[in-house]
Amino acid sequence: MFTKEFDTRVKTTVKIILPVAGVVAVLLILGFRNTVTDVGYRPQQPVPFSHKIHAGQLGVKCVYCHTSVETSAHSPVPSTSTCMNCHTLVKSDSPKLKLVRESYETGKPIEWQRIHKLPDYAHFNHSRHIRAQIDCSSCHGKVEEMGVVAQNKPLSMGWCIDCHRNPTEFIIPARPISGIFTGVKAGKYDPNAKATLAQVKALTEPQFGQWETEIPKNEVPGIPVPKHPGYGPENCSSCHH
Amino acid sequence: MENEKTHKKNIPFFKIILGVALLGFIVLVITGKKTWYSEDAPIEILSDMDNQFKAKPQVGSTFFANRAADQTVIPNTVPRDGVAYPLEKPDFERADSVIGANPLQPTDFVLARGQNRFEALCAPCHNNDGKGNGTVVEKGFQNPPSLLDEHAVGLSDAHLFHIISVGQNIMPGYGDKLNMNDRWTVVHYIRSLQAKR
Repeated sequence: MFTKEFDTRVKTTVKIILPVAGVVAVLLILGFRNTVTDVGYRPQQPVPFSHKIHAGQLGVKCVYCHTSVETSAHSPVPSTSTCMNCHTLVKSDSPKLKLVRESYETGKPIEWQRIHKLPDYAHFNHSRHIRAQIDCSSCHGKVEEMGVVAQNKPLSMGWCIDCHRNPTEFIIPARPISGIFTGVKAGKYDPNAKATLAQVKALTEPQFGQWETEIPKNEVPGIPVPKHPGYGPENCSSCHH
Repeated sequence: MENEKTHKKNIPFFKIILGVALLGFIVLVITGKKTWYSEDAPIEILSDMDNQFKAKPQVGSTFFANRAADQTVIPNTVPRDGVAYPLEKPDFERADSVIGANPLQPTDFVLARGQNRFEALCAPCHNNDGKGNGTVVEKGFQNPPSLLDEHAVGLSDAHLFHIISVGQNIMPGYGDKLNMNDRWTVVHYIRSLQAKR
C-alpha cells in the first residue's frame, strides 16, 4: 500500500517519538512530586536580607529575631524595630535598607515573601518542637549558609510522618547557632549526638496515647522547659484539628 | 555484515549524549534532592482547602481596615497574657523602689536559661563574656561598656532589669523579646559573670 521509503520513515518516527513521549510523561509525573515542586523555592525578598551574613558570619542566633518561636505555634518574622536595633548605626545609609527605614518611620510592615507554607488544615506548632530541642535545621536546612533562603525540605505529610515514626534518624539536636534552650546542659553541643530517646526506646510498640514523653515540671513560670524528644504523634487529629 | 556496520555508524553522537543527560536528569528527580532553585511559587495541583479565609499570623487580611491580620496593641492597653512595664526609659532613679529585688533564686536551671538568653540576645554586642566587642561591634555598632567593670557591678538588680527592659543610651529595650522572668534570669547570669571575673 505504502512505498517502502514511507514505511521506514513511519517506523523511525515512531521509534523516536514513543521514547521521547514516555520520558516526557515520566518527567511530568515526577516533576509534580512535592519534593520537586516545593524544595528549592527561593523567591526574591523585598529587602535583600542575607542569613549568611547575619547568622553565618556574625553568629547572631536564630532566636534573636525569631523570638517567640519557643512559646507560640508560629515562628514570627521579626518586626522592623528588630532590624533597627543594629541598623540605626550599622550601614544606616545603605540603599538596600531603604524599605526598612521607611517601614520603621511609617509603621507599615515590610511584605516578606513566605517560603515555608503548610496547607491551612495542617497545624504545625513550632513551640512543641523547639521544646523537644529539635534544631531549626531539621526542617529548614542550614539557613545560616543561605544567602537567599530557599525551602530545603518538602514539608509534605509523608515527610512529617517519616520523622514522627523514626525520629532518631532525622532529628538534628539543637545547635548553638539556633539559640534553643536546652536546659541545664546548655552549651554542651555534640555534632554527632543523636537525639536521646532513652525514655521511649523501651516501648518497641508504643500503645495508643503513649507516644508522649514525660514533661518535666515547670520550674519558673514563663520559661518553656525543654523536654526529651520522643516519637511524634500519629493521630490524624494531632495536626488536623 | 556490511549492513550491520553501516547501522552502527548511523547512531548520532548527540543522541547518545542526550540520552545520558536525560537519564541523569531522571535519576536526580527520583532521588528527590534539590537540583535547582525557582522563584516561582510551588504548583498546587489540588489546592482544595489549602488557603482558607481566616486570620493567620503575619498574613494580610481583608477583614481589618489596615489589611493586617496582626493588630498592634492599642495605646494604654495590655495584651491578655502580657504584663505592663510600669516605668519609662528616663525613670532610672525610680527603678529600685518600683521594681524591687530579684524574685528568682539562682538555681542551675535559672542560670542556664540566663546564659541561653544572654548568648542569644545580648552577646551580639556584649559578647559571651560580657566584656563587649561582640560581632556586631566589629561591623560598626558602638562598643558597649564592659558588664564586668565597677559601674556595672555597682548597679542594683532593679537597675539592670530596667536597662534590659527599656534600654539605655543607644541600647534598645528588650522588653518585647524577654518576658519578666527571662529578664530576671539574665540579671542572675550577669551577676554570675561578674562573680567569675
